[in-house]
Amino acid sequence: MKKLLKHISPLAPDDSGACSVLYEMGGITVICDAGGCAGNVCGFDEPRWFEKRSALFSAGLRDMDAILGRDDMLVKKLSLITEQIDAPFTAIVGTPVPAVIATDLKALERMSEKKTGLPCIALKTDGTRLYDYGEELAYYRLFDRFAEYKLPVKKGRLGVLGATPLNIGETDSKRLKAALSDKWEDVVCFGMDSGLDDVKRVSQCERLLVIAPSGLKAARLINERFNTPYDVGFPMTDELPGIYDKKILIIHQQFYANALREHYESCGCDVTVGSFFMMIPEYMKANDIHITEEDELIELALNGGFDVILADERFRLMLKGFGGSFIDLRHFAVGGRLNLG
Amino acid sequence: MTEAFFVTAAELAYRGFDDLPRELDSSKHMIYSSPATLDFNSPGAKGFGVKRAGLVIPGSVMLLIAPGCCGRNTALLSDLGYDERFFYLMLDDTDIVTGRYVNKIPKACEELLAELDYTPSVIMLCCTCVDALLGTDMERVCRACYDKTGVKAAPAYMYALTREKRLPPMGLVRKSIYSLLEPQKRISNECSILGFFSALEDNNEIYALLQSAGIRKIHEIGRCETFEEYKEISRANFSIVLNSEARAAAQDMQERLGIPFIELTRMYRLDKIHNQYRLLGEAIGAAFDDSVYFESAKAVIESFKEKHGEVVFAVGESLNADSFELALALCEYGFKVREIYGTVGERNFVFVKKLAEISPETRVYSNLSPTMMNYQPDPCIQAAIGADACYYHKGIVGVEFNSEAQPFGYRGIELLFSQLDKALGERGEAYV
Repeated sequence: MKKLLKHISPLAPDDSGACSVLYEMGGITVICDAGGCAGNVCGFDEPRWFEKRSALFSAGLRDMDAILGRDDMLVKKLSLITEQIDAPFTAIVGTPVPAVIATDLKALERMSEKKTGLPCIALKTDGTRLYDYGEELAYYRLFDRFAEYKLPVKKGRLGVLGATPLNIGETDSKRLKAALSDKWEDVVCFGMDSGLDDVKRVSQCERLLVIAPSGLKAARLINERFNTPYDVGFPMTDELPGIYDKKILIIHQQFYANALREHYESCGCDVTVGSFFMMIPEYMKANDIHITEEDELIELALNGGFDVILADERFRLMLKGFGGSFIDLRHFAVGGRLNLG
Repeated sequence: MTEAFFVTAAELAYRGFDDLPRELDSSKHMIYSSPATLDFNSPGAKGFGVKRAGLVIPGSVMLLIAPGCCGRNTALLSDLGYDERFFYLMLDDTDIVTGRYVNKIPKACEELLAELDYTPSVIMLCCTCVDALLGTDMERVCRACYDKTGVKAAPAYMYALTREKRLPPMGLVRKSIYSLLEPQKRISNECSILGFFSALEDNNEIYALLQSAGIRKIHEIGRCETFEEYKEISRANFSIVLNSEARAAAQDMQERLGIPFIELTRMYRLDKIHNQYRLLGEAIGAAFDDSVYFESAKAVIESFKEKHGEVVFAVGESLNADSFELALALCEYGFKVREIYGTVGERNFVFVKKLAEISPETRVYSNLSPTMMNYQPDPCIQAAIGADACYYHKGIVGVEFNSEAQPFGYRGIELLFSQLDKALGERGEAYV
């Protein structure tokens, strides 16, 4: 049966992705839920929750709020919180509750702006899609809304898009920056150790590096608006296991998996990339596959003739019949464990 | 930036329950995901949320019918060995609007059964806010699943939207997990303890006291290892309810199975514990002699006080106690409680009023208030009790006191003070 998970638990959802991008932006983020979705974000998908403070709250909706569509109550609560916490903007993140009752998030955005006097972005996530969709939406809306002015380009400044714990398994940008420091003087990882001011000043970047598919749409927007060129890639931050002349299947977010492919192809390997998350067609090779169901991965693993599978440990559960080597390749959006190695 | 909001016990008592400050009324503000909030909203490796609670029936499996976001944190339960008991029917955006997935649930049950090499005792169907809003008749869905598979199904309502209703999700799930019990001949010297998903701590005096009254078998769901043992619960002559969230389950058992119940409250004041046992004895026609336990607990408190002096505490709510009752107990024993992080309700407001008389300056904070993200620890506080209090006071001695083995009665007092004694001893911080 489609959409029945028998081996793994659900992957990081879109609302978690949206919150991940917004987490360090300095705004007030409200998850439009009853509490459970915010609990999943703060208690699981956001490893920075107990390290770095962020004004991330649950709307605390109750059944009558939903049934009666009390948007005005939500706006009132949002307004109250802007009196308690200084913030340059507010954001509303959708969940299944507003999706079921068809909340007009655009109207909510306008109502909030009118009431609080602060810019508001409402993100139409609904908890049914995956994290990269929510990240893409959040990056795009942030840059679209706040990156307004063209500033002089600073030579040696690189802007990185896609740096979230869900994509890279890190809670800060130290390792990423270290890996890029030989070529770039000044690296800014949007949303990780950087806030809204850097988003506003994105046009100062000499180039952009997109390290996960979720950042691509925003990069294209920035390119269109400011002519900032962008590259797609992933700087290696970990030592990789030595594999030579094998047929390999790599399951991860596409751009990291592609970087691994490049490395292993140089070791004589034949590499296929697969992902449950976004697969951008122009960065796919002929045999690459976008996986949508558990059974598809099982079929691919068992009948694909692979010697080695590099994937998050969580997938091992469903690949018990695989006769080759399984190497754990952490992906926070899958198994909820930090670090990529 | 507003400082963390608090109100003193005196002011709170003066205002009364009907005039709570806005920051203490969670319906009037956004919710901050403090550790205590997460305990309720996202219970993971520690504690029981609806998902884990639904699986306390031995041999059960769970089908979570929800958008991906609702089941995401279930991965936390992997370490506890739940991996092979969870299945997920993922809903997409069309599903949650049309409700078309409801017809697929029996088929999903059939497929998950094919995956198992045993027949589960029950399939718990865990549903979420989506079904709360769509008004899905889960009883009917459960019957359809049974018709399709021949395996019983029961609902586990993870309705966060209804957490402040008369029967909140944690009450509903308790009712569900006892709903599979069937009437059978009750045995006069057996009883059951309801309230927690795990068992009482092994050395609890209630076992000995009940045995002294002639009770030979005490059923607890947390001690059931097989479905057969679970089914024996309905042999109980009476139930003892130790947590009010199990009241609906007990009432249901009274109506369906004819098992009456007696409700006790977990408290930390010696005289109240003694009084409860006296009333329990009267209700079952026995005179309990609890003097040994009373004296032992009293001695533990006195010894602790002698050793550590008038310790100043912060008391949270992520712990096996009512924050306000525990704070009141500590103050009555001669300690100081500088701060409480808790949820004021109608039931525990009585403790607030008493606390206001003996410790009017105690500050009451709400873990749910957004202002708590600006909380700054008070340096006067010497020890923290509760996982949330420990989080706010990382630099000082603390005990989380939220183990799965449930403390109760005199034994609860002994456990608390022995843990505090150990923690203070390890830091070498005696405050005399």
